Amino acid sequence: MSGNAQPHRWIARERLGYGEICAAVADPIQRRGPGRAWVIAFLGVLPLVLASVIAIGAVLTIGIGLSGVNTTVVWGFSIANYVWWIGIGNAGTLISSMLLLTRQHWRASINRFAEAMTLFAAAIAGIFPIIHLGRPLYSYWLAPYPNTMDLWPQWRSALVWDFWAILSYLLFSLIFWFTGLLPDLATMRDRAQSRLGRKIYGALALGWRGSARHWAVYETFHKTMAALAVPLVCSVHSIVGLDFAASLMPGWQESIFPPYFVVGAMYSGFAMVVVLAIIIRWGLNLQALITPAHFDAMAKVMLFASIVMTFSYATEWFMGWYGGDHADRAVVSYFFTGDYRWLYYSLLFCNCLMPQALWFAQVRLNLCALAIISIVINLGMWLERILIVWNTLSHGHAVSLWRTYHVSFYDGVILIAPLGLFAFGFLVLARIFPIVSIHEVSQLAHDQGAARGRAS
Amino acid sequence: MSPLTTPSRREALRLLGAGITLAAGGCSKPVETIVPYVHSPEQLLPGVPVRYATAVSLSGWARGVHAIAVDGRPIKIEGNPLHPGSLGATDVFAEAAILDLYDPDRSRTVTERVNGIASWEMFERALSGPLATVQAARGRGLHLVTGRVTSPTLARQIDVLLRALPEATWQGHEPADDVNAERGAELAFGRRLRALPRLDRAETILCVGADPLGPGPDQIRFSNALISRRRDTARFGRLYVAEAALTLTGVKADARRAVHPLDQPAVLTVVANTLGAGLPVPELPEAARLFAQAAADDLKREEGRALVLAGPTLAPECHALAHWINARLRAPVDFIEPPDGIEGRKPATLSDLASALDRGAVTCLAILGCNPVATAPADLDLAKRIGRARFSLHAGLHGNETAGATHWHLPLTHELESWSDLRATDGTVSLVQPLLRPLYDGRSLHQILPLFSGRAATAGYALVRETWRERGGGDFEGWWRRCLHDGVIDGTAAPTLDPGEPRLIALPETRRGAGLTVELRPDPCLWDGRFANNAWLQECPKPISKQVWGNALALSRADAGRRGLEAGDVVRASAGGRAIEVPIVIESGVAEGVGMLTLGYGRERAGAIGNGIGANAYGLASAASPWLVTGVDLAKSDRTETILRTQNYVEIEGETRKLCRQIDLAALASAEPKGIGADQPSLLDPWKGDKDGHAWAMVIDTDACIGCNACVVACQSENNVPVVGPEEIARGRMMHWLRIDIYDEGGPEAPRAGFQPVPCMHCEHAPCEPVCPVAASVHDGEGLNLQVYNRCVGTRFCEANCPYKVRRFNFFGYADGQPYANLGAESVKAQRNPNVTVRARGVMEKCTYCIQRIATERQAAERDGRAMGPVTTACQSACPTRAIQFGDLAKPGNAITELRKDPRHYALMEELNTRPRTTYLANLRSPNPDLKEEHA
Repeated sequence: MSGNAQPHRWIARERLGYGEICAAVADPIQRRGPGRAWVIAFLGVLPLVLASVIAIGAVLTIGIGLSGVNTTVVWGFSIANYVWWIGIGNAGTLISSMLLLTRQHWRASINRFAEAMTLFAAAIAGIFPIIHLGRPLYSYWLAPYPNTMDLWPQWRSALVWDFWAILSYLLFSLIFWFTGLLPDLATMRDRAQSRLGRKIYGALALGWRGSARHWAVYETFHKTMAALAVPLVCSVHSIVGLDFAASLMPGWQESIFPPYFVVGAMYSGFAMVVVLAIIIRWGLNLQALITPAHFDAMAKVMLFASIVMTFSYATEWFMGWYGGDHADRAVVSYFFTGDYRWLYYSLLFCNCLMPQALWFAQVRLNLCALAIISIVINLGMWLERILIVWNTLSHGHAVSLWRTYHVSFYDGVILIAPLGLFAFGFLVLARIFPIVSIHEVSQLAHDQGAARGRAS
Repeated sequence: MSPLTTPSRREALRLLGAGITLAAGGCSKPVETIVPYVHSPEQLLPGVPVRYATAVSLSGWARGVHAIAVDGRPIKIEGNPLHPGSLGATDVFAEAAILDLYDPDRSRTVTERVNGIASWEMFERALSGPLATVQAARGRGLHLVTGRVTSPTLARQIDVLLRALPEATWQGHEPADDVNAERGAELAFGRRLRALPRLDRAETILCVGADPLGPGPDQIRFSNALISRRRDTARFGRLYVAEAALTLTGVKADARRAVHPLDQPAVLTVVANTLGAGLPVPELPEAARLFAQAAADDLKREEGRALVLAGPTLAPECHALAHWINARLRAPVDFIEPPDGIEGRKPATLSDLASALDRGAVTCLAILGCNPVATAPADLDLAKRIGRARFSLHAGLHGNETAGATHWHLPLTHELESWSDLRATDGTVSLVQPLLRPLYDGRSLHQILPLFSGRAATAGYALVRETWRERGGGDFEGWWRRCLHDGVIDGTAAPTLDPGEPRLIALPETRRGAGLTVELRPDPCLWDGRFANNAWLQECPKPISKQVWGNALALSRADAGRRGLEAGDVVRASAGGRAIEVPIVIESGVAEGVGMLTLGYGRERAGAIGNGIGANAYGLASAASPWLVTGVDLAKSDRTETILRTQNYVEIEGETRKLCRQIDLAALASAEPKGIGADQPSLLDPWKGDKDGHAWAMVIDTDACIGCNACVVACQSENNVPVVGPEEIARGRMMHWLRIDIYDEGGPEAPRAGFQPVPCMHCEHAPCEPVCPVAASVHDGEGLNLQVYNRCVGTRFCEANCPYKVRRFNFFGYADGQPYANLGAESVKAQRNPNVTVRARGVMEKCTYCIQRIATERQAAERDGRAMGPVTTACQSACPTRAIQFGDLAKPGNAITELRKDPRHYALMEELNTRPRTTYLANLRSPNPDLKEEHA
């Protein structure tokens, strides 16, 4: 970030033509080669992609025993990873839709990759509940498909709600992302230099011509989708929260879980968006489109989420004590004194203490500091998820079977390798589709009075 | 066709056709025809289990059992109610005998050390040479080594052989023997006698190092007698235990003290002096003295109903003193002639054998059915000495350590494959009948012994019948059938004798040297090591430490701390030049300066399951003192080992106390039964009752539970529960559907523990059911909480949400393609109960209340058009103290409803509104008010 004062808040340059905006986004894909950084990154993530594939293949053939789960702590990394990835996914949609509805125009330059992030994160998240099953090949039994035995899923189970939540969320994210992409696909089609490019982008653009009618329909549809998105985002993570809350276990059976999970998802999601924005801004030279003001805004959201999370933790402790139930109190004291206490202290540091630095504008505008805090938040949020699983299961009602989790090699792989899968998705996407919304940034430029000339 | 011209097309095709025909015809399998039963054997209905009464042995003593066979395959062992050593119940060893039968490591053919696989004929030829030498010398040079002989047929055969070869020697070697007790009786009464304490009549009991409720041939009899008596609270009595480390008897004790084994004689002296013996009182720590005095006063008060038992580690003089005390107390003890051995013959000892081997005086050494190389005290070094015999052979189920030291190894048949007869500890004889033909080319000891007389092998059937021919009288066949059917021969119990007045024997001076004293005990799971290759027993948690797949030297916390040791540290324990490496474990209730280690581990040639598991305690024992090793030095090594346990030590206090309700006898009158909780409002469906007219329920009396694990292994045997192996246990995975929790409310130094068997609770509001996404966990109309294996997808939410944590998950295909070690072998599969599904990988499973037994009874009732009779679960039938009761709450006048009104009744975690069907009766204790607890 240059220290220069900006003439416009959300667009860095004094005047930015529509053509320049288009070129800034589309040219790296259509006119230029991948570039060294891309190739290095691509080769860098390939081993992780391979590791993910091998790990999934191994767990399908050898069995879930590869994970560190045991008789007492029957859930482990898969569940924590699942919740974490879903949380990452949530922020993408939230940014896109909530900010769209509240006319936060600054979202224009980040919403596209936020949506892409949602898509990939939700897809990766969707892998975990399947590979955590004992018999993954029968995961489709959670769906109410017609069968000769007249067997339906058991609707009282939070896992069935969860199945629907993930499925609808994934489908929604795909459609929402694709809708937002339509005008840009048309731009790509129009700018394509090869016949094949024209054909493919043309087919994907679904005949978009940019007519006033198209735009009117588009706006209505996109806004409606966005309106649907907000409750969906809340529902998907509420239901993830219910996976735990709809149980009998101390530390899980808490009515605060659904909202607390939604905020947590937003929190880690925003942190992830910040990290990605910093990388993409650097990688694709989008300093003009992603400005310090964007980071400032997102940092404030994170700060707010951090305070809400801290409050949620405090509520959990207070209710554990105030409820007076022995098992609940025992679990809360286990948070602080048990086998995982250092992880719990780390979690409090990452999620509650560290983000308080965001009160200061210097920190919010320092991308380096912001990146570190965001990564720390993501780490903290993962710790939170794994500790929700571990603390309760390790210290439940049956005192005689209290036991800790043993992290296995496989656990390590499925924790790290999907990050490569995620990066891989992004790298591929960045070479195929505009990673920043061309039409929305143009609109923003227009609204800001920064635009000149016509869109090419 | 000329050989020099190329064949024409037709010729070439003809040749090709002929070639194919020949090739196909020449390689086809021989024609085999299978023939269905045209005349099916009487009483053999396909799929219908048949029970046969027989007996299995432990250290030679019989426990009568019913072996259940389906389609000719024995699959389960249950107790024989007519047998005095079983009383309808079993112990872990009897239950696990079935797995030994199918052990893939059993030896299958005769083998010779150099040339490998051989045959019986080759062995007989090889034996003829040394046998001729021996026969020429009237038997000199022939040494027979056997375990304890209780079989009248075997005794008769050995006797006949020794008559023919009078110079031959018979050695007896039983690793877990009671030689101190035998010699004690001889000292006191001047003749060989076996004492049978009557725990059903004794009310105030002092056990000094003795563990009558612990594992052993008398466990069932003793525990049944003691617990049956205690059910009548008027005859509850009081159990005092002074012991070196916690035993099952110690857990059930009303007052217990950890007393150093070398101080235990002094406890007996205090009691004897209270009764007027006037012996010099050795030094004794104050706490132990007060305890001994309180016990002595109590015993004296209860004269006629009081009893003192001395433990196997105590010197014969102590046993003699205990006899003197019991005589003073007019204690209920029966005396009989020892039923084991051969009349008029005293077996030589292994030390005699060792010296004979050293002299080179052994021409032919026959080790029959025992494993002295592994189980003899280390200082005899038999492995090396056996090499000095000119000709040696070993007969056993496994090619074990002894087989490795001898020239020949002969495969023995399992007790379920052979004819024999065995005596129980009270002398009662049971016939042992085979349930199937020998799986391999083995013979029984009865068939092998005639070879030494130069006679051809005779069928065991004929030999056993010959023994009993006279007794059977005129209608021998009828008598024989009746004996086979009942499993016992009437009137064979040894008559009780009047032993006369015991002499008062002064105790020898015991010197307490420096260093640790290690008490060796038979293992509660592997006994003397003979069960080391039994996967069920290896994975059976030891009753108190809950250790599996290994043993460890138990120290008290203070002792370990003083030596700078932590649990899992491997130490080199050495005494008198013998040394072993063994991990340390810290256990509650171990006396200061004492270590406790169990026998039976560290086997080198046990088989794929038992090889190299644990530390070999025999390596520390000496022939002079096989049970107590003094002056042991511990040197810490830099190695550590994970102690595998299925449960960690749990001290209950405050709120957790209600997990394991314990009541003092005095407070019983004011105790109120606790129900399963009011039916709280719930989002779930309200409980609508059991619409099919049955409501199965279980009540477990924790006061009667002695923690013996018979139910755990019975459940495993009945329900095809797989073994997971030590690696999986280390990862915290186990499969037992039924676990026995031990809760301590006294603290590590003065444990006051209670056992609590935990099967599935079959909750009316089962938390596992609403969380299952595919309805694999469902309730049926009889109140059973079912798991539908083939519907389960393995989310494990049910176990996550189970407050009792009773569900078990197949993380790998333990029974389905990914078995531990050799447990996937075909022979092991033959043990499986055909009425119970073998679970696949990725499937949750749990206790079903033995639904297959309920179904069997329902079918029988429907077929016969009658109401359903009682159903017995596997755990219930195994329980020696009848602590587990199962029944139908919906049936008028059932016992369960009554038990649920007992003032001791309580439910586990009833505050969660799960409304469990499995409920408990509280543990009872009658502490001596004069005796303050150690920690208080």
